[in-house]
Amino acid sequence: MIITPNTPNLVRQGEDLIPTHCSFCGMQCAMHMRVDKATGQVVGVEPRYDFPVNGGRMCPKGVLAYQQINHHERILHPMIRKNGRLERATWDEALGLVAGKIRDVQAKYGKDAVGLYGGVSMTNEKCYVAGKFARVAVGTKNIDYNGRFCMSAAAGGAMKALGIDRGLFNPWTDVLQAEAIILAGSNTAECHPTAMAYIWEARDRGAKLIVIDPRKTPTARVADVHLQLKPGTDSALINGLLYVLIAEGLVDNEFIAQRTNGFDALRELILRDYAPEKVSEITGVPAALIFRAARMYGKAATGMVMYARGVEQQSKGVENVTDLINLMLATGKIGRPGCGGGTLTGQGNGQGGREHGQKADQLPGYRKIDDPAARAYVASVWGIKSDELPGPGQSAYELLQAMGEERNEVKMLFLYCSNPMVSAPNANEVDRFVANLDFMVVSDFFLSESAEKADVVLPAAVWAEDEGTTTNAEGRVIRINKAQEPLGEAKPDWWIMKELAKRLGRGEFFPYDNPRDIFAELRIASKGGPADYSGITYERIEAENGVFWPCPEGSTGMPRMFEERFGTKDGRANFHAVAYRPAAEVPDQDFPVYLTTGRVVFHYLSGAQTRRIPFLLEQCPEPYVEVHPILAGRLRLENGGKARLTTRRGDMVLTVRIAETIRPDTVFVPYHWGKDLAVNQLTNPALDPVCRMPEFKACAVRVAKEA
Amino acid sequence: MPKVLFIDYERCIGCKSCVAACAELPSHRKKSRNYVVPLAPGVTTQTIPMTCFHCKDPACARVCPAGAISITALGTVLSADEEKCVGCRNCTLACPFGIPKFDFNENIMYKCDLCHERTGVGSAPMCASVCPAQTLQWVELDVAMAKRRSKIAAKIVGDFPVWGEDEVETRIVSAGSFGGTGVREETHHE
Repeated sequence: MIITPNTPNLVRQGEDLIPTHCSFCGMQCAMHMRVDKATGQVVGVEPRYDFPVNGGRMCPKGVLAYQQINHHERILHPMIRKNGRLERATWDEALGLVAGKIRDVQAKYGKDAVGLYGGVSMTNEKCYVAGKFARVAVGTKNIDYNGRFCMSAAAGGAMKALGIDRGLFNPWTDVLQAEAIILAGSNTAECHPTAMAYIWEARDRGAKLIVIDPRKTPTARVADVHLQLKPGTDSALINGLLYVLIAEGLVDNEFIAQRTNGFDALRELILRDYAPEKVSEITGVPAALIFRAARMYGKAATGMVMYARGVEQQSKGVENVTDLINLMLATGKIGRPGCGGGTLTGQGNGQGGREHGQKADQLPGYRKIDDPAARAYVASVWGIKSDELPGPGQSAYELLQAMGEERNEVKMLFLYCSNPMVSAPNANEVDRFVANLDFMVVSDFFLSESAEKADVVLPAAVWAEDEGTTTNAEGRVIRINKAQEPLGEAKPDWWIMKELAKRLGRGEFFPYDNPRDIFAELRIASKGGPADYSGITYERIEAENGVFWPCPEGSTGMPRMFEERFGTKDGRANFHAVAYRPAAEVPDQDFPVYLTTGRVVFHYLSGAQTRRIPFLLEQCPEPYVEVHPILAGRLRLENGGKARLTTRRGDMVLTVRIAETIRPDTVFVPYHWGKDLAVNQLTNPALDPVCRMPEFKACAVRVAKEA
Repeated sequence: MPKVLFIDYERCIGCKSCVAACAELPSHRKKSRNYVVPLAPGVTTQTIPMTCFHCKDPACARVCPAGAISITALGTVLSADEEKCVGCRNCTLACPFGIPKFDFNENIMYKCDLCHERTGVGSAPMCASVCPAQTLQWVELDVAMAKRRSKIAAKIVGDFPVWGEDEVETRIVSAGSFGGTGVREETHHE
């Protein structure tokens, strides 16, 4: 990389530099917080040249992340709704009220009538406590988190094909050794900007870049081959690539024979149904480009396949992911330097946060909650009987549905670190589900669209006001350091749960004074599980610039996975013959255009944080609809004018941006806004049958000029 | 070997991290001194970072009646000296690239100083430190020159649609190719 790690920092008089990482995406870029010694407050940011992943690089969200910390809109004290208004309360009043409500609701409707809904912008320590709090203190099965909308398809696909789910199977530096790189459904330039330096450095060394995306994003713009497919046709396209690889003998037969199962079924399906000419008709991608891309990847000595929400946020996300893994397995390009890939984690701790128990079906260490041995082990660590542990809960969207009047199963919700009023699909329905609750508690540091609807609001500390660990997209466990004391009366989420547990009579199970105590227990709870952290300590993380899991005690950690065996029982990877099926909703006469949604570089997730940072908001103040000039001409739309978008679930008016960079049969809307500006009023909550991921990336829409 | 700013335009992703980071240097008084310009909005997502080129004989300094714009031994053209600047705005008119800007509140011009405060202690300018795609790079002069030569040799301008098996060859060569390309490697002929 360009900047040398020993580049000195600028340290100003009267300031300290506190090394930490960004609050935003899964790159978890390292940075220093500039802290004023006199006030003890964070006043700015300084690059951290010595950290290997980003070497000082930061996207604009990273540069400005610190502006959340002492932001004038921070929630500074607990609030209780009285006569329709949120009014200031003490911690004791608020926690007492919440604990009392939990008891009342559970006495009236049963244990599972209280739901917990979390997020993975929290540290591993907080995510771990959340999972334990739900099962041990509240005793409900109903806990899930926003990673369901983010990483669940990648996780499901990796589990099926490889037997273990770690975002990237390789360290970032492996990209530099790849001769061909496939990016599928990833606008890396905008969503993981600092990863682009790896892609470019690989290209400087001669690597070819293949991008699969319906839009000519800043990532696709510079690709050697851009496969600009119709939304939702990914598995057909991948099958077309597999066809060329198989038909032209570009597969690694030795690798297939020695390390995989199920190739014959895949081969039969592919050769029978997925000739590139036919795939071209389904996907709208010229057959010549399918040949070109497949040969580029197939003939390269090394190659990586990386993917993100574009292929994952579909009702067949798991199928798309297993099909992309088929590419790696068929060519033997996995488990070697420059060979492998995986998913680009969206949320900051999207990796660690899905490993330690806040997922509906999971216990710490990536254990399954319905596995008797896992239950027995974790119950013993927690000091309870294993039959006290609730069983599997339900996925995030289903948990929201359970609150609605049709099902009426969940009567109280404790929401932390998430903003489902913006991030969940089919927002109008979600509104209705939330309105049907008896009681909602929200812990957050800004009054998000979801927090606005709460009966009790608890002021949470921001990431720089607590310490702990996160796990980045590579599976590298890193340290978040505390840069200042929490503002006002804010408290970290683990403290909130510990105090609630006390009031529920379960305080003895949460004897933590600090995140270090929690991590010590997490290490034991994860020991022996697939995501084994037992060999990781805060000291090792600091000394080694992070430690890759799995890392049992005595291990050095595993930067590159699958060199010798896969995570399955027999150690072999599984091919999956994926027959293409269309998106749950495809354009028809009434709704003739594809709608796809996504992100812009200036905003993060529901925008609750980045919309409050002036520079970022100024760059992209509101959502827009991107329309191809051909479609715009047909609909008489003007650049900068308005258009009404209508789907079977809702409608909204957006400003038109005419751009040749999108397919003429598709429109695109970024999703970072709430209420009338929320594109999730339109999206389809069709769920993947395996991982329950909603289909954010493809539905049918009608577009009309709005006067 | 002194370090210089090397710009690889094709890499720019339009994120404006350089702009955000520029304003973070306290001596820049919350005013960014570099810009990111979209090339042809709606046609391409290509953007271009615009920074001061630190001319050898800078027009801004030449037209300054107060001698407020100094040039360091290494050739960095500094922002106006606060005590000398008379607020005449000659520099903002003279610069062919539109780099010097005027702060009407403070009655003073401001421009890129390559983060003199940082480079003076051996650190790197904020823009090149943070640039996620390494469009802006802070490298030794010989490294920059070598990169420039390799780019000229390797890049051919154009954004070719591919129909069937056809490929398009061009003979136009440029130092910085702004467009993307579908077939870059096949079109290069010695």
